[in-house]
Amino acid sequence: MTNEVKPISKALLYVDGSESSITAAQYAIVLSKKYGFSLKAIYVVNDTLLTELLGAKVFVKMEKMDYERDLEEDGKRYLNYVVKLGERKGVKVQTALRKGIVHEEISREVEESECSLLIQGELGEVLSLRDSFYEEGERILRKVSCAVLVVKNKKNVDWLYDSI
Amino acid sequence: MKLTDYVAPEHVKIDLEGGNKEEIIEELVSLLVETSDVSDADVIYEAVMKREREGSTGLEKGVAIPHAKSDAVKGLSVVIGVSREGVDFEAQDGKPSHLFFLMVAPTSESGPHVQAIAKIVKMIKLDKFRKKLIEAKKPADVVDAIARVENGEGEEI
Repeated sequence: MTNEVKPISKALLYVDGSESSITAAQYAIVLSKKYGFSLKAIYVVNDTLLTELLGAKVFVKMEKMDYERDLEEDGKRYLNYVVKLGERKGVKVQTALRKGIVHEEISREVEESECSLLIQGELGEVLSLRDSFYEEGERILRKVSCAVLVVKNKKNVDWLYDSI
Repeated sequence: MKLTDYVAPEHVKIDLEGGNKEEIIEELVSLLVETSDVSDADVIYEAVMKREREGSTGLEKGVAIPHAKSDAVKGLSVVIGVSREGVDFEAQDGKPSHLFFLMVAPTSESGPHVQAIAKIVKMIKLDKFRKKLIEAKKPADVVDAIARVENGEGEEI
């Protein structure tokens, strides 16, 4: 008797609330339904960014705390939306909400949840070559230990999602 | 997020006339009211001034990012003002402020608001970008400079 090799048993979907991350969510749901792997969506409250804005004195302390709470609420809302996108297609989506340095938290979740694939939306635009080294999407690509799928072509993904 | 999704030439005023913080904010709020979906200008002015009283948003190198959260706007709203003479905005370095990015977002849109502020903070670190904005002859020059930086031409601008 041979054991069936399953290249992907669990995938992590990175959601940041952007349109491209919602497209990635639709594609992840399509793949999960088609290939039968389990799916977990993660949102990370970008604590580093808020701390940087506090350090740059753009934010005052109370304001930073206020935005932190808001972003946490945003995260819950985005994750709930992805869960509903999954429910519409009969795909169960687990969720995780973390706080901290985005690429490090994603990497940690990949390890702890034993994910063999990370799915994310298109990389953000960079302002300069130097800036590309700090773009979160690129940092995630470099940091995580599993394979990464960058989802593009919203029109095609919309069609795929609608057709399953 | 792209700043150019929120900023068009009508959202930019070259040659601001205000001579102090209150006048500049009033001028920018007026521009916001003219060009965005705003229900109450006084509420926005008060929200921005309240934030300024907690600590000035005048940063270094002639840039200020006055901002507030208010449900008097329907979505993230941004206007940009340029003052060639410069205005005392209680900046961190004590120097006059020349570039003003006024940003107001409803409480339900904190994510895009934070991202937009962070993007401006990044952009204004580019010396050539700041110079380009301060020397802009018309609003479209400001929007064009932002678009070029967003398209990765930050070093060539």
